Amino acid sequence: MRTSFSSAAELLALVAADGRSLPEWMVAREAFLTGRDGAAVRDEIARRLSITRTALARGFKEPQRSVSGLTDGAAAKLHALAEPPVRDELWNRALAYAVAINEVSACGGRIVAFPTAGSSGIVPGLLWAWRDEREGDLTASSPRLQDAVAVAGAIGAVIAARATLSGAAGGCQAECGAAAAMGSGALAWLASGDPDRAFNAAALSLKNSLGLACDPVAGLVEVPCVKRNAFLAGNALVALTLDSAGVRSAVPFDEVVSAMKAIGDMMSPQLKESAEGGLAMTPTGLRAKAAMEAGFPDASRS
Amino acid sequence: MSAPALFDVIGPVMIGPSSSHTAGVARICFLARKAFGERPEKARVAFHGSLAATWRGHGSDKAALAGLLGLHPEDERLSFARELADREGLVVDFVEVRESDPGLHPNTLRVELEGGGRKLSITGSSIGGGAVRVENVNGFPASISGELDAVLVRHRDRPGVIAGVTGILAAAGVNIATAASRRNQKGDEALLVVEVDGVPPGAALEAIKALGEVLAAVHLPSVVS
Ligand code: SF4
Repeated sequence: MRTSFSSAAELLALVAADGRSLPEWMVAREAFLTGRDGAAVRDEIARRLSITRTALARGFKEPQRSVSGLTDGAAAKLHALAEPPVRDELWNRALAYAVAINEVSACGGRIVAFPTAGSSGIVPGLLWAWRDEREGDLTASSPRLQDAVAVAGAIGAVIAARATLSGAAGGCQAECGAAAAMGSGALAWLASGDPDRAFNAAALSLKNSLGLACDPVAGLVEVPCVKRNAFLAGNALVALTLDSAGVRSAVPFDEVVSAMKAIGDMMSPQLKESAEGGLAMTPTGLRAKAAMEAGFPDASRS
Repeated sequence: MSAPALFDVIGPVMIGPSSSHTAGVARICFLARKAFGERPEKARVAFHGSLAATWRGHGSDKAALAGLLGLHPEDERLSFARELADREGLVVDFVEVRESDPGLHPNTLRVELEGGGRKLSITGSSIGGGAVRVENVNGFPASISGELDAVLVRHRDRPGVIAGVTGILAAAGVNIATAASRRNQKGDEALLVVEVDGVPPGAALEAIKALGEVLAAVHLPSVVS
């Protein structure tokens, strides 16, 4: 089996020549690369999906509070919001779910890097919101939900091949930006079953997060990360809406990813996870850093 | 570069908060502990670059302790690694190397372990999303991702050693994914890294150790569940 690709164009050509669907082909490729069978790959996708669902439930049930105090139960607040100003359940669930999972990550809980810990709420938040709103009979064992994960993975794999999925190397466009591209593509695939639409939605989404800095306060994966998971889940839903309306990205996905790489290379190291620029250098950011270096004297350690 | 595997993108399963500063660090230290083979008497972990600036807030020290205790990077006991290390009497000296080195990935750590008259030093980079690359083992250049099980063989740089090792593995029914041998500067010793599918049987490892010209051999388990 030919498994090597480094662009969406190449991937989609391979898949078209193969005859299987994009997710089926991705599962077969994974089986080939890791020496297991397709069923084992699907079981592992199911296991990872279940871990995200557990984290999601935990983020709502136990308001998550981090040692730094920078994470303080935003998901529980969103969950309790009786009259959301935007009245769309897919939207509201996606934002709350993304935050819930990411708060569990910020507080040292068990999650799946999706594709990273800092961006871990976006893709599963979108998938579970879709499931709860649109297709309530889906579970982690449903091939359809697993297929959506495989589509998200295909998009992330192209980004990793052409650019990076690391905030330290490419800024937050490479983490939350990449996650939103993956999530929008997965939902576009659920909506249409068309791999080309998945990459179109991903291109639309990624264009809107180009240049996003990684400037975490005190170097902690909390501010802006946790709330950004909600914002970028929203970004993905905008891309989904555009794609559903037939709006095409003027710049194709592969070129957008190359642009992301070029921007990441141009970005100062101060804006790439070093906590030496942007929000990290605001008075508030510096106070949080001083508190961390003093061992968080104000925090009630649990 | 060719696209990575699906579970490199969707994964690893890990303990938060940071894939590069928690999961990657736990993986590199887990590999170091397995390569060393036992609990070290002395341990030093140097955080470079971005890690040096931010290791405290990410609990990179906890992640390192968990790895050096031999806890798998998915293990939720990672949260209590400081307490577990105290109980086991594992003391680690953490140092920061702030100067950036253009030759190193921004998230690099160097692990030095000592005990039983032996020393091990490993340099590894956390290259994003929890993925790692061990780049140096005791002065030998390497490229180990920890995705697959591996056998590390330190040997004298003589003809036939690599064939001997791969022959033993093949005879044991172990499929070899990659094999690379690199010399250190002195040119007399080399480190052979063989990545394999599945777990190599203990008997094969013993047979490798018994080969002439082989100085040491160790099994490095995969960091992936
Ligand atoms: S701001 Fe930086 S640390 Fe936070 S999610 Fe984005 S890339 Fe990760």
